[in-house]
Amino acid sequence: MDYILIAELAVSGLFVGLMYALVSLGIVLIYKTSGLVNLAQGAMAMTGGYVTWAIAAGLGAPMWIAIMAALVVMFGAGMMVERLALRRMIGQPVIMTIMLTLGIEIMLRGLMPGVFGAAVKRLDIGIPQAPLFLGELLINRATLIGGVISLGLIVLSLAFFNSRYGVVMRAVADDQTASWSVGIRVERAIAVAWGLGAVMATSAGILWGATQGVDWSLSLLLVKALAIAILGGLDSIPGVLLAGLIVGVAESLATGIIDPLVGGGTRDIVASVIILVTLLLKPHGLFGREHIERV
Amino acid sequence: MAVNRRIFVSGTAATLAAPALIPSHAFGQDKVIRFTMAQDFTRIYTFVTSEYSQGQRDYFTLINERGGVNGHRIQADVADHANDLPRAIEAYERGKREGAVLCDPLSTPVARALVPRALEDKINLITAFSGRSDAADGSAFPYVLPLSINYWTQAGLIVDHFAKVAGGSLRGKKIVFVHIDTPFGKEPLPILQVLAQRQGFELVTFPYTPPGNDQAAIWPQVRRARPDFVMFWGAGVGQTVAMTEAIRNGLPMDRVSSSVWMSESDMEVVGKAAAKGVMKVEPCASGRDPKPIKDILAEVVAKGKGAGPEAKIGTAYYNYGVQMASLMVEGVRKAFEKSPNGPITGAWLNEGLRSISNFTAEGMLPPTTVTKEDHQGGGQGRISQWDGTKFVPITGWFTANQDVVWGEVKKYSEEFRRTGK
Repeated sequence: MDYILIAELAVSGLFVGLMYALVSLGIVLIYKTSGLVNLAQGAMAMTGGYVTWAIAAGLGAPMWIAIMAALVVMFGAGMMVERLALRRMIGQPVIMTIMLTLGIEIMLRGLMPGVFGAAVKRLDIGIPQAPLFLGELLINRATLIGGVISLGLIVLSLAFFNSRYGVVMRAVADDQTASWSVGIRVERAIAVAWGLGAVMATSAGILWGATQGVDWSLSLLLVKALAIAILGGLDSIPGVLLAGLIVGVAESLATGIIDPLVGGGTRDIVASVIILVTLLLKPHGLFGREHIERV
Repeated sequence: MAVNRRIFVSGTAATLAAPALIPSHAFGQDKVIRFTMAQDFTRIYTFVTSEYSQGQRDYFTLINERGGVNGHRIQADVADHANDLPRAIEAYERGKREGAVLCDPLSTPVARALVPRALEDKINLITAFSGRSDAADGSAFPYVLPLSINYWTQAGLIVDHFAKVAGGSLRGKKIVFVHIDTPFGKEPLPILQVLAQRQGFELVTFPYTPPGNDQAAIWPQVRRARPDFVMFWGAGVGQTVAMTEAIRNGLPMDRVSSSVWMSESDMEVVGKAAAKGVMKVEPCASGRDPKPIKDILAEVVAKGKGAGPEAKIGTAYYNYGVQMASLMVEGVRKAFEKSPNGPITGAWLNEGLRSISNFTAEGMLPPTTVTKEDHQGGGQGRISQWDGTKFVPITGWFTANQDVVWGEVKKYSEEFRRTGK
């Protein structure tokens, strides 16, 4: 057994898991406020990556301006999704609204490569590619920096939900009718949640785009994000953090330990197994709240 | 005779239906030779198709501007099959109905699905850099023509080059093979296993899940395996991620090589300077120096008749398209030499394609000879290395390990003969 390799895979998995968790965070933010699972989160991450690349490469803007501009554009886009599409679905069965987000996912997955070209795009945010060694242990700089930024954004989200507006959003999540009755603008709170979800997706799209390039395959992050959200609990930010680490490390170790035994292909199975096992054994996830309705 | 409504409707319907009913050889009278170029522009092969198709169309325009072949224009019917079998089959059938004598789908699953139809319909199915490697055996696949080095030959060329770099022998060395976990990615494995046994090197394989956008857990294992050489095998995002991870893991890039699926665009994604040293197999010369490319720039692009962005002219994949188009046109020339009066059918073109001899497209290709037995064209390619700005050939055109390659070709083509699979 190569213990250095195992340690390296575990450390890599921790950082990758944090980057997955950032995608998942958007799903949780939206679910916490509106009670909807956004199945377009992967495609929104991809779109954020494309928009950043388009501003940087197409308009020739410095990367930091491109990133800021993309975050603003995508915040607006997230709010518009709520305003133009989801608000019209009020009164419809929840499943129809979830299907609508799936429709947005499929549309974006076709639209973005169609508009910007299907070839992989380079998104250089200035992370050096040279390996970083701690003794014999190699740390991948791209995932290290991506993981640290993701952790920062997750902590920031926790702080936001304890702020004044965060309390408003939690109130909306708890009871929309009661929130209306005390004068809270519920639609606006939900729209802000969608905007923030899009910002998280864009941040993830930029970090993953800097790691692997920008193309349609960024949208595949949805599966990992769903696994993390389900495992952590759809309405729990700390849950996302812990579940991200679990999924990242489990995937990484499975690739290193199980792949050689079975001939490969276990990395993607890990996320699917986590979804299945969690739903069967603990449907509300590790930290999710159980909703008990009085009938 | 008075024209009543029934006669008018019948006459109009007959007029509209007539073109579809005209047999293919009638197009010879219009002096047009039709090729079906339904390819995947929108789904899996997007990384290559637009440049490849642009190269093909520009070359056909060059030939047509010069008066065609024997007074016949080449008409390339371009469509998008999106790597979707029903759409691809529909495009193939439409091409057949309209008199196409050749089809180039540039997709392994589509090519595999079309093999039985092409063999039955006697339409030339071009499977360059795709399809079945055993289609090199022309006696088993008379109408399936790779016209270029298959994946087995490419793996054989890389191993041969590694041996030269290692001082003539790979005995005791370790080669790591990182590949996408699909039939395409696994294709070189039988050749590599035989070569490992024969040449005494250790082969270690690492499959990654498609499409290959996340290989973070693969490359630390590659590095820890302490390989002497690394071969990686994928396409699109899988290739750029593989290169990026190799760099991030500190592997020496001048010991890393891939197949024909690497282009200048990939280097931009990875970082031109960081990727310096990485090697690839070249089936034809890249850049703008080859004579056909210069001719296209002067006679097609300068007249505003180019099929796409000028910046893409001379890229690896653009030149692959020109390579294939030039071989198709050479096949047409040879067919006219053999049967000047046609009729222009798939069988007529097949005779021409299978008598291409020592063709180099004015120095752009390795000498290519296609026979009724060898549809690979002789199996020559070369190794090129990225110097930070462009791919530079570091070998001449050569072929290697063809005894092993043809052993596999015959094994699988015999099975096809026996079982049809």
